[in-house]
Amino acid sequence: MSTGAILFMAFSWIFVLGLTFWSFYRLMNLQKHHDPDGIGPAVPPVKARTE
Amino acid sequence: MAGNAVGLGNFLRFPRQAAANGGGSFMITYFIALILLGIPLMWIEWGVGRHGGQYRKGHLPGMFAALWKHPLAKYMGVVGLIVPMCVMIYYTYIESWTAAYAWFSLTKDYWGITTQEGMLEYLRSFQAIRTEGGQVYHHTYTPYLFFLGTLAINIWVLSKGISGGIEKLAKIGMPILFLLAIILAIVVITLPPQPGIGASPMQGLEFIYKPDFSRVDEPGVWLASAGQIFFTLSVGMGSLQAYASYLSKKDDLVLNGIATAATNETAEVVLGGTIAIPAAVTFFGVAGAMAIAQGGSFDLGFATMPVVFQQLPLGNLLGVAWFGLLFFAGITSSVSMLTPVVAFFREEFGFKREQTAWILGGICLVFGMMHVHWLQYGFLDEWDYWAGTFGLVIVAVFEVIVFMWLFSPKKAWDSLHMGADVRIPSIFKFVMTYVTPLYLLFILGWWGWTDAIPILLNKKMASGAPVVAENIPYITLSRGIIVLFAIVFLVFVRTAWKRNGYDDRKGFIEVDQSGGV
Repeated sequence: MSTGAILFMAFSWIFVLGLTFWSFYRLMNLQKHHDPDGIGPAVPPVKARTE
Repeated sequence: MAGNAVGLGNFLRFPRQAAANGGGSFMITYFIALILLGIPLMWIEWGVGRHGGQYRKGHLPGMFAALWKHPLAKYMGVVGLIVPMCVMIYYTYIESWTAAYAWFSLTKDYWGITTQEGMLEYLRSFQAIRTEGGQVYHHTYTPYLFFLGTLAINIWVLSKGISGGIEKLAKIGMPILFLLAIILAIVVITLPPQPGIGASPMQGLEFIYKPDFSRVDEPGVWLASAGQIFFTLSVGMGSLQAYASYLSKKDDLVLNGIATAATNETAEVVLGGTIAIPAAVTFFGVAGAMAIAQGGSFDLGFATMPVVFQQLPLGNLLGVAWFGLLFFAGITSSVSMLTPVVAFFREEFGFKREQTAWILGGICLVFGMMHVHWLQYGFLDEWDYWAGTFGLVIVAVFEVIVFMWLFSPKKAWDSLHMGADVRIPSIFKFVMTYVTPLYLLFILGWWGWTDAIPILLNKKMASGAPVVAENIPYITLSRGIIVLFAIVFLVFVRTAWKRNGYDDRKGFIEVDQSGGV
């Protein structure tokens, strides 16, 4: 691999991996993680009203 | 959310897009699109979704109407129903290929086929595409059976409202998929050069990462990279907003948004980029890999990975695990795509979840069968282009304009930071307000002039290949169906607003997070 390719690959990997580790570190430490389960509310949503 | 984002886009669509759009050139535009479009839009979509949820709106027409009190808002949101519906239909078909290849791996059905021509012939045979003199490996009904089964599983999951269970399973399945991807990446990187080809996996990595500016002036490359960022992050699909509508003001959108994007990018760049392309280059050479990529939107992974599995001990079981987990990852994504459409009919027409899911399933069946039947005529590529690429960009343009401009930059910025412990760097306020929308409008204009118009005028195919006269009726029908979806959803939105007596100029009443009005 050429030097340019190695540098571009290293930069790309460090960027995405760094962001992943940083964000998960913060999530785990702040205990604010919220992962919506996608099932929606237990009952059908109440119909919205206009003012 | 990460389970929703990680899917076929990472391991199947990304390698193909990178290979078909110049490797290094694509990666340069890809990272620019990630920083200026993907991450800002991820935050915007979560913000749009949570704001809509405060008014009990889980679909884009309602969310836009809550943000901008204007009659046009709800109609702009219609794209957030058309796009997920269209993408879900063909995505489910691709998903069915992974199920089929898991089965073919288990039965060693493709064992012994190791050439580029052979694997493509095998794939075409499965897709029921018959070529003169080509070997036939499968019955013509095989792809229909796998598609039917896959669609039935999707609709069943959606109808039973057990996507929560699927998400819980995803928490186990996703780490296994990551682990397997790491193993495969190591295997691929250590593959020896193949006799007669002479290329190594490192040449594959060189192809992707060599800084190459030769195709950076092509609008198609910028649109492809933006489209891939949208597709892979599920941005512009309507599903992120639907999920985010269940978030409360106490939830940290900023951190969750960046964590979702980062996880997905790790799967895509680090793993997705290290498996299919280096493997394809090793076995078929750079030219061969590019030729496969030009052949169809998702072909590369299916033509390449079976060859890799044949080189490994217990390769067939690894194949089952790989394609099986991709199938599983695909389900978490495809089910989420119909979520905003189901939300629309539940919230505005009072339909039951099960009833809505099966009606939508019937529609998906009819149009999905067309994809299966007319794949060879570019039917699927056409939808992947107009709905899966162009449509996502249109949704993004609309939502950034509505959220950042019409709702106002200050209110949008404050809304994003409600409940957040992490601040978005201030520069992104400028990026989200000016750079992201102008970037989107610029590529739309540039690409529209040089790429979309020739495709629309049938001067070239959506896949980039020259037009074959025989394909034109199918391409026209394919586009006509997207237009039909647009008309139908516009009518439904208009009917819903009239039926429920909504006043566009007054908006909706905010509801509290516990369910009361």
